[in-house]
Amino acid sequence: MAASYALDTTIAVVTPENIAFNYQLAGPFRRLPAYLIDVAVRWILIFGLVIGIYLIGGLIDFALLGPFAIAAGFLVYFGISWFYGTLMETYYNGRTVGKWALGIRAIDVDGRPISGKRAFLRNLLRIADLAPIAAVSTFSETVPPAFIIPTGMVGLATMLVTRRMQRLGDLAAGTMVIVDERSWRLPIAKVGDPRVPALASFFPGDYRVSRSMARTLAVYAERRHYLTSARRREVARHLTNPLIERFDFRSDIDPDLLMYALYYKTFLADSSAELPDLGPLAGYSPLRRDANKPVPHFDGIPTAEVVTDTGASQPMTEAVLPSGGSLPSSTAAPSTAAPPSPESPSPESTSQSPAPGNASESS
Amino acid sequence: MNVATLLEKRRVQWSELEALCDAMEMRGRTDKAGAAHHRGAEGVSRFSELYRSACADLALADAYQLPPGTVTYLHRLVARSHNQLYRANKFEPTRWGDVIFREAPQQIFRDPCVRIATIVFFGLFALSMYIGRNETLFPGFAEAMVGSAQLEQMEEMYEKPLNGSLDHYVPMAGFYIMHNTGIGLQCFAYGILIIPCLFILAFNAVTLGTVFGYMGRDGAVGGDNFYHFVTAHGPFELTAIALSAAAGLRLGVGLFYTAGLTRTDSLRVNAMRSVPVMVASAVLFTLAAFTEGFLSPSPLPYFVKAGWAILSSGLISFYFVVLGFPRDGFQLKPAPEVSSPWSFPDPVDESIAPEQRHAT
Repeated sequence: MAASYALDTTIAVVTPENIAFNYQLAGPFRRLPAYLIDVAVRWILIFGLVIGIYLIGGLIDFALLGPFAIAAGFLVYFGISWFYGTLMETYYNGRTVGKWALGIRAIDVDGRPISGKRAFLRNLLRIADLAPIAAVSTFSETVPPAFIIPTGMVGLATMLVTRRMQRLGDLAAGTMVIVDERSWRLPIAKVGDPRVPALASFFPGDYRVSRSMARTLAVYAERRHYLTSARRREVARHLTNPLIERFDFRSDIDPDLLMYALYYKTFLADSSAELPDLGPLAGYSPLRRDANKPVPHFDGIPTAEVVTDTGASQPMTEAVLPSGGSLPSSTAAPSTAAPPSPESPSPESTSQSPAPGNASESS
Repeated sequence: MNVATLLEKRRVQWSELEALCDAMEMRGRTDKAGAAHHRGAEGVSRFSELYRSACADLALADAYQLPPGTVTYLHRLVARSHNQLYRANKFEPTRWGDVIFREAPQQIFRDPCVRIATIVFFGLFALSMYIGRNETLFPGFAEAMVGSAQLEQMEEMYEKPLNGSLDHYVPMAGFYIMHNTGIGLQCFAYGILIIPCLFILAFNAVTLGTVFGYMGRDGAVGGDNFYHFVTAHGPFELTAIALSAAAGLRLGVGLFYTAGLTRTDSLRVNAMRSVPVMVASAVLFTLAAFTEGFLSPSPLPYFVKAGWAILSSGLISFYFVVLGFPRDGFQLKPAPEVSSPWSFPDPVDESIAPEQRHAT
């Protein structure tokens, strides 16, 4: 039992297929706005319907239908103010208008859609959750007694101490509120940078990353779009330094690029395939022992693949692997919009062949 | 393992499952998903097939070393499909008769909370009626409890004999449904906190009792008209208030007295038990509202109204006692075997579902 206690706000639901999948729970900061929207919607509905009933009653014959219109008005008010949530949640898969707007949904604790009985209970008991009521008239005599404010302390306290963030109504009905994310894409990072497969081919063929390393690589590749290039290098360096030591790479290699190459090798490269065609990069080796080898003439990779948001096409020659100093980030990532870091060399300086001394410069 | 190839292979199935989910979330059926093999029974079996394979993919995600983002995607996909495959019951109108005429009276009959709420409500009602009537022994009680302004208003209201018309009856019936059932529902909801529920119950009992007593005094203005008005709907309405409080107390008691279950399980079981009682109470409130709207304010002679009161009391008694008498008591149970040290203990309560019984 203790193992199932999650530290974050997800809850695992075990299905009859014996699969446990996770839901993300919705906390008070999502549920309060949803509730406020619902209150507004309820009043708009009531006013609209009551006005509609009176118009119809008045148009036909107010003398005869007037009393029925008034009675219908009372019933509409009663029905909507008490059973709006129940009916919406029952027939719209656990969502009210407010919940739909905030992207949350009420479900059974077993992960099933809620039944009518449960929706009835959890919506009725909202009154108890909104207790205690603070009457403004307690503090000031002049305020009319209509201004009473439900503080919602009971529900908030219950939500804080229960693992599924349930309020009292949820506890009684056996329901919980989860985040129902609608926008989703298949998140696998694409590699457009031609340097990545090239660099990946320099890892030994029998090298397999550990499971935790694979996870780290995937998280890194998915998250790196949100980081600046300097931050990427800073984050990646901790993992790449041992790799550089182990596989004898040049010490000035871009840690971000190395991480990305390892990601490519782990997840994307077909192990049985031939070595990728290195193209114009063929002569450049990132290995330390090749640092003194003569480098063939290099005229750069076609710049067509390089897209920058600034509009100016960035010469690819800047990003040649063995150039001295720190490399800019891989060009395929969206974050190339970030300007090159100031310490990165200008295109003129990188178009020269790398000086051998550069390799040991930063070690 | 090349994850990209694997994902490309699986992605076709996953997006098909997503399309089916889209169709089912909109219309509740797979017909509109597009392809011809998605219509009718074929679509349902295709959906469950795809769902199971997505489940298997999720289970194998660790072995495949899928990236965490993909695993999250799979979690959501499985959750979404699970929600479409395992449906919950909406309201079942066909079962309402069963709930009202079988479940509710039996629950009411055996529920100690009903007894407590009834004793509190009718006891306080009778007590304050007695004290409020007896001005010589308890001077000023009625004024202190209800307030003299409200008492004067009551006297003024019932000064003239009852004489309503249809214009008056229909809106009032609507108003009484709204107002009184609202109080009942509020009482029920606060029951989970026990104290507010008891407060509302006692407050209503004392107020009503005092007014009844005050109007019953010899010199009270409009006393006759008052009793003319309240007799007909009294049995339904007073019982309904007590019942809704009882249903609420069942919730609150479930939170504290768990009978060996975990606290939340106990609360859930008790809440499910209290719903039929609340439904019965709402039916009584509605009956009371129609009586109060149409019969009570009418200028019909008193014996008609008294007759209706007696009839409704009889109906309520029949409902609680005859329909509510525990029928399981008559069913012959096989005599328990001689207990062996290896036998299971008897289950505590049949009404608790097995999975909840083992929850502790």
